[in-house]
Amino acid sequence: MTRFRALYGAGPLNLLALLASFAIAGAAVVGWFQRPRDVVSVLVWFAAAIVLHDLVLLPLYSLLDRIAFGVAGKRLRGARRPDVSGLVNPTPYLRIPAILSGLLLAVFFPVIGGFGAQTELSASGIPESGYLARWLLATGVIFAASAIAYALAIARAGGPPATAGPPPGTAGPPPGTAGPPATPDPGPDQVLVDPRPAAPDQDQAAPSDGAAPTPTPD
Amino acid sequence: MRLPGVDPNRPPPGPFRPDFWRSPLRGRWLTSVLGLILLIGIPIVAITGLISNVAYQPLLGANSIGTNLSPLDLYVFTWPTRPVWLYALTEGLHVTIGLALFPVLLAKLWSVFPRLFEWPPVRSPAHALERISLVLLVGSAMFEFLSGIFVTQFYYPFPFFFTSAHYFGAWVFIGAFGAHVALKFGTMRRGLRTRGDVMEAAGSGAALEPGPVSLTAVSPGPVTMSRRGLLGTVGAGSLLLLVQGAAGAIGGPFRFLSLFGPHTNPGSGPLDFPITETAAAAQITPASVGDAWRLEVVGKQTLRFSREQLLAMPQHTYDLPVACTEGWSTTQRWTGVRLRDLATLAGVHEAATVTSDSVQPAGYVVTLGSEQVADEQSLLALRVNGIDLSLDHGFPARVISPAVPGTHCTKWVSGMQFSPVPA
Repeated sequence: MTRFRALYGAGPLNLLALLASFAIAGAAVVGWFQRPRDVVSVLVWFAAAIVLHDLVLLPLYSLLDRIAFGVAGKRLRGARRPDVSGLVNPTPYLRIPAILSGLLLAVFFPVIGGFGAQTELSASGIPESGYLARWLLATGVIFAASAIAYALAIARAGGPPATAGPPPGTAGPPPGTAGPPATPDPGPDQVLVDPRPAAPDQDQAAPSDGAAPTPTPD
Repeated sequence: MRLPGVDPNRPPPGPFRPDFWRSPLRGRWLTSVLGLILLIGIPIVAITGLISNVAYQPLLGANSIGTNLSPLDLYVFTWPTRPVWLYALTEGLHVTIGLALFPVLLAKLWSVFPRLFEWPPVRSPAHALERISLVLLVGSAMFEFLSGIFVTQFYYPFPFFFTSAHYFGAWVFIGAFGAHVALKFGTMRRGLRTRGDVMEAAGSGAALEPGPVSLTAVSPGPVTMSRRGLLGTVGAGSLLLLVQGAAGAIGGPFRFLSLFGPHTNPGSGPLDFPITETAAAAQITPASVGDAWRLEVVGKQTLRFSREQLLAMPQHTYDLPVACTEGWSTTQRWTGVRLRDLATLAGVHEAATVTSDSVQPAGYVVTLGSEQVADEQSLLALRVNGIDLSLDHGFPARVISPAVPGTHCTKWVSGMQFSPVPA
């Protein structure tokens, strides 16, 4: 048993589970050979699905997020006046509706873009031209809802002064572990509204020495 | 296990270095929560998908998606006719829960993305096999979700036969998903208890073999969103897509919420309900469904009926859903002749299946089982909501049967053959 573990790198149940999954996958591939014309295109699309997600989609939306809320977000905050709105971080109120609208587009782009237009019009008798307008309308509603939420948050922040500082339970790893984070851990209990006052340097890249950035007063 | 030319302590620059990954949101707790949601949701999607295959009754006639039955096919029961909304429910769940899980899947893959670049790439034979299994898991997951999402929008950018590919792809996915759950369930349970990775950093260093690197960023960037905020965003995205699926599946007054599903022009009367194929798309010519149209009923004897003769027979009216495989459904009031009355007229008094064909030039051969034929609510419908069928809804006559997939409710029926079931 120990010998097996040393050679294989895990227990025998690990090997059995993996072999079972490969056997099922093999049987499915055999099934596909019932339609020999399909086999190559299915394999191509299978590989394309991984490449599309891992090497195109995920890097793309990570990059978009960094561009929008790394640089632009910093600029936004740098230009902000120290007024009541400064108590509420605007980033989530832009980022979340952008994500939701983008999600709708990512999922429904075939009808929104009319890629299935020929098929759908002849198939169901419904012209697709309306779907782009519907997506734009949904995007408008989502951003409007976010704007209302932002206004409410500002109103709340402008009322009785909230206690500043990160909420409890968000400490970084204890000393002696992989290295202290540059900023507090975004624990699951932290609320969306950034309770810290405006700090222009907040979005700067973390210092390479891993030290926590010191907020500078406005 | 050492790979030649790979120094486990010197990863190449870029994503292979742990400090490349900056997001402070990644960590075991987040991945475990997303994993738990998928663990609950994916079995629903998988089981309702397999149920859909059963509902197509692939053992009958030419219903099967393959030329032969795969050893993986499961036909543990015959498809029932009650409740009448059964297929509307199972297929609605399949599409709606599938849509709602898509954002969770994307978030889950994002949360473990650094693992794609872990260094060394292979630590042991077990690790190598697990990574191969993950290629199957991620590939089949994206393949299944994307092909399913595309097809609900009538978008077929691929050359293969969707139904077959989606079905066999599902088995690859189910196998890889099962192995992944078996291997990671304990990790998920421990991760759910960490609530923030403080414990992860402190507690899990005592593994027997060198374990994978932590998901937690070693030099995290600034916090611009909390983990709860990220989960809330994923949840909002799921809810948005859930409403899209559910509004189409429930239909009626909620259909307007299905922004991207099939719609008809509002207020155009008793024929205003969705379809998937117009008469024009099916290349139905007026001559083929005009006065010369006859229904050929084949049993122990062959009979031919004009539409007037069918209307002169005892008529029955039932409210039944047309439940589309794309997930939406619509319940309407159908009037017509019982299939079992037609079987009796053709001299078939015992249990029988019925194979119907359509006047459309490409043909449309579908077989319903003996349970469906025997059911009093299975009709050859001539009218809907009190008026004659329109051409798009299958004039002169269409099949409607409780709880069967909408694709089995043949429109523009030209012939019906009742075949006694061998005892």
